[in-house]
Amino acid sequence: MADETNPAPHWQTDFPIERTEATAVSRRDFARYLCLVSGGLAAGSGFVALKAQLAPPAEVVGEHLVCKVNDVPTGGTHAFVIAGSTIPYILIRLESGEWRAYEQKCTHLSCAVYYKPGTGQIECPCHNGFFDARTGEPIAGPPPRPLPSLEVVVKGEDIYVKAFRHE
Amino acid sequence: MSNFREAQSKAHPNKSNTLLSALICVLIFNIGMQIWLLYTALNNALGKHTRIAWPAFIGSLILFLIGFFWLYFIPMGKDKNQQPGKNKYR
Repeated sequence: MADETNPAPHWQTDFPIERTEATAVSRRDFARYLCLVSGGLAAGSGFVALKAQLAPPAEVVGEHLVCKVNDVPTGGTHAFVIAGSTIPYILIRLESGEWRAYEQKCTHLSCAVYYKPGTGQIECPCHNGFFDARTGEPIAGPPPRPLPSLEVVVKGEDIYVKAFRHE
Repeated sequence: MSNFREAQSKAHPNKSNTLLSALICVLIFNIGMQIWLLYTALNNALGKHTRIAWPAFIGSLILFLIGFFWLYFIPMGKDKNQQPGKNKYR
């Protein structure tokens, strides 16, 4: 290189970038990248907080008719969607005679879950996640949260669902 | 003419190396905590427990600011004007 004799600026010289400069990352630059990632994570946390504050997930309002009692055998399930919403739910008639209604999306990666009759468990087939059918709590596998649930109200022969009041 | 800083650097040639490693370790530790905070906030927000989101954000922001001002302490080395042909990546 002719840096000693040629006072031309760096950008005017031929091939001003060395191969090692183009490929290697110095530890100083690495530290700066770490700080950049740190800023991105802080921004992500801010986005989560803002979204939770400004656009909370919509609650189910009022009672909604799902089906008749006789439509679901013991140990059976019935898939339904509440009017005005696209969230899929399943209604489960447990072997004990209790009714449960859960969102059908696994809390891990939103795969469709299904009830395994006779086991008392709801299974997510994608990654072998299991939920307790009575409570919706995850009991095995990767799901981090319980399944969102609705309260089931039986009125005569009709089955209604509504949001839990305490939440 | 020598000065105190130059003499120090000669007496402890590995000092900036150690400093830089320590700085990077702290930054990685901060990022680890930020990932945990983000995971916790997101997990709870999706589970309709949104109260943790703001404290997690504030904590994450403080960690970022610590990391940002931490960069001030990065040792820049003795030779800012690189000699031609000399590898500056050490």
